[in-house]
Amino acid sequence: MEPPPPPEPPKPRPSPAGRLLNVLSGLGLATILLVLLGLLTWLATLEQIDSGLHHTLRKYFDWRAWYLLPELGGKTVPLPLPGGYWVCALLALNLTLGGLLRWRRDWQRVGVLVAHLGIIYLLVAGAVAHHFSQRGHMLIAEGAASNAAEDYFEHVVEVAEAKDGKPAAIQVIGGKYLTDLEGSASRRVRLPALPFDLELSGYIPNAEVKSAAEHAPPAGVPVIDGYYLAPKPAEINTEANTPACVARIIARDGSQAAPFLLSSTARQPFSVRHHGRVFTILLRKRLWLMPFTVRLDKFTAEFYPGTMKPSKFVSKITRSENGSDAKAIIQMNEPMRYANLTFYQASYQQLGQGPAARMASVFEVVRNPADQWPQYSLYVVALGLLVHFITKLAGFIMARSRPTPHV
Amino acid sequence: MNRRIAIYLSLGLVGLVGCHEKNDVTVNETRAVSTRDGPFKEFATSDERFGNARPSPVTGETPPGWSVQPGNEFRLLNYRFGPDGSGEVWVSAASGTLADNVNRWLRQFGAQPLDDAGLQALRRVAILGGSGVWVQAEGAYAAGMGAEPRAGYGLAGVITEVQGQILTVKMVGPAAVVKADSPALEAFVKTLRLADPAE
Repeated sequence: MEPPPPPEPPKPRPSPAGRLLNVLSGLGLATILLVLLGLLTWLATLEQIDSGLHHTLRKYFDWRAWYLLPELGGKTVPLPLPGGYWVCALLALNLTLGGLLRWRRDWQRVGVLVAHLGIIYLLVAGAVAHHFSQRGHMLIAEGAASNAAEDYFEHVVEVAEAKDGKPAAIQVIGGKYLTDLEGSASRRVRLPALPFDLELSGYIPNAEVKSAAEHAPPAGVPVIDGYYLAPKPAEINTEANTPACVARIIARDGSQAAPFLLSSTARQPFSVRHHGRVFTILLRKRLWLMPFTVRLDKFTAEFYPGTMKPSKFVSKITRSENGSDAKAIIQMNEPMRYANLTFYQASYQQLGQGPAARMASVFEVVRNPADQWPQYSLYVVALGLLVHFITKLAGFIMARSRPTPHV
Repeated sequence: MNRRIAIYLSLGLVGLVGCHEKNDVTVNETRAVSTRDGPFKEFATSDERFGNARPSPVTGETPPGWSVQPGNEFRLLNYRFGPDGSGEVWVSAASGTLADNVNRWLRQFGAQPLDDAGLQALRRVAILGGSGVWVQAEGAYAAGMGAEPRAGYGLAGVITEVQGQILTVKMVGPAAVVKADSPALEAFVKTLRLADPAE
């Protein structure tokens, strides 16, 4: 009689790090994260109706949003949720660890591994676009040309020396030096290339410049040359905000000139003569120069019958670069990709009224290093699933074709 | 252990402080001139930079001694006059009838409203290719909106109807100042013309 086999030694309890690794690579976490992503997307879709797209995207999916409280119908829902960016980051980690640690070295499952890699690629593409893409728009009237796109949201202060009534040698003070100057905060901005510095203060994200002669200013609000800044509620479309601030020139000897107002709604820049040179200062959306010039040759818009719903916008353009011209057509769902830039047909405008009215095309201009990555990632996922299904099918057919042993 | 916590807290504090821009920064960012950088008006005034951009549908020749003021949604044209700028003239589009507006002005000076006969008796002056009624009054001027009445004030003005719209030209100020500039007002009214919509 054989002796009974010795009992199996109990499995060693995993260390805390091992347990954490198990959780991070587990299917349970993946399920929770996917449910959270679906919930965040649904809530963000509802919230953007009242709060605007930019604000909502920033609240739900910006990397600085660790957590958020959703708002529905203007009321805060007391349900803290993790920020979408970090849910995606954790999902990417989960898929990576799950793929690496839990993938059994079974070549029949290589398709699943490839599909996992495709989804990770998609998530990485989202992160790259979030951190490194740049978006703006370019409005061009028929027959006109442009080589600059305008940022949707960032306002900058530009200081330029004026020569022959036009700006030259333009210095740009980025929006990051402005947006935290609400209230009594001020900042001295040193401009080594110019003979003076600027002091900026009193930033208001959405302001109206009012005439003190027409509307009495509230107590304590400074009136500068007959005008003052009145705050307005933020626009739902964030790009429609018109910020303003107070500026002052500080000469190299430390002397300060009288303050003046800067507003994105100003029709002319502020001008100052300094040691015989003329400088202009203005607040505007950041301009983003293209490596080529786009001329709008012809714009046509077609609408569904009896509606103003567009069925087709077509812009025929000429792209000029280094003395050579190239024709291109940009239309809905058929952007122009060139020099790492993508031009989408966004909308159109009519400039002016009556017989002199001209059509203008509006392009969304995007520089995104991961522009095509989502497409490639889907190819990878499709390839992985195809391999997986073929492997399974082959396994199934081979099992069926094997002779069944007779009993 | 405490030392480690102190180090972590310090690092966190440094990180938080580092998130904020300093109050004294040096900027060297530049950009090239673009097609968007067109010509501009050097030394534009604040009125030119921020004032009402909508062109007035009415234009006129400014009399000597009057200063042009920025217009607004209620004042298509706006002027000040008088030795100390205490007189005001403005051109407005108004609602109601011609009689409503005449009597509104009169009530602002505590005067009795006019009946049809009184309105018919008002002097008529040439304006915008037609004629309007000349209204004048003196007394304590209560501009409305809770403003304190101003004693010793004078009114002179013209109310007319143009293309179905009431147009008023109103001069208000200390009575003596208004009386002195009434001829200038009448001359000014004759220079008014409607702006060409195509302009």
